[in-house]
Amino acid sequence: MAEENAPQQAPPAAPPAPSGPSGSSGPSGPSGGPRPQARPGGPAKRGKRSFVRKKKVCRFCVDKSDFIDYKKAEILAPFLQERGKILPRRMTGTCARHQRWLTVAIKRAQNIALLPFAAEL
Amino acid sequence: MEERQYDLIFICQPDTPEAEIDKIIATVEHAAVEKGGKIESVNKWGRRRMAYRVRKLREGYYVYMVLKSTHGEVVKELERRLKVSDVVMKYLTVRLDEELKRQEKLKRHRERRAARRPRKTAPPAPSAPSAASSGSGEQAATSA
Repeated sequence: MAEENAPQQAPPAAPPAPSGPSGSSGPSGPSGGPRPQARPGGPAKRGKRSFVRKKKVCRFCVDKSDFIDYKKAEILAPFLQERGKILPRRMTGTCARHQRWLTVAIKRAQNIALLPFAAEL
Repeated sequence: MEERQYDLIFICQPDTPEAEIDKIIATVEHAAVEKGGKIESVNKWGRRRMAYRVRKLREGYYVYMVLKSTHGEVVKELERRLKVSDVVMKYLTVRLDEELKRQEKLKRHRERRAARRPRKTAPPAPSAPSAASSGSGEQAATSA
């Protein structure tokens, strides 16, 4: 278990941390924390047992979107399962904040028949 | 009270003639003005496949509007009218001004941050230049 966790939350390559000088890191902490993932193949070189898993990055953070539009069904659709369930964060790599917005957007889209509640067989 | 912004979407039967839809839009606009609101924009998305069947139909004619008002009474009235109308199969009103405000705020915040720290987000970089600053003086000069 410890082995599992280690590669993900081991930013020992801590150069990103000092970049937030004092005050700014405070308010932007929850959002800005997991964002910069520019570690060039750091964890890939651990023991041969640990297979390389590509680090998933929040798509909305990459796009720097501050608002997820429920009217754009084609953006929301990839975050649904075949049968219309919302994909969990651990599958898509969406950050907590954007997942929160995303669920709201998906639910709105469902209400106006842009996305299915449950796909028919 | 500050002005609120709503998104108003409704779906008509797909076989509704265009004239009929225009009539509905006109009545909605009229009703909104009567109650002290204002329709900012109307956008007919046209016939579109729905994600699930509504009234046993697979398609619907979507109409999208932006409504501005200072109070919620308008929404109540408009929804009542849409509900009464036979051709309207489905409607949705979403209050958006608070989310848009949040969006603005985040955008401003981001811009300010970008202005304060002109260097781009290159986390591995800072350690390297600081160590090799003596060697690559010109690089540091360009970044600063």
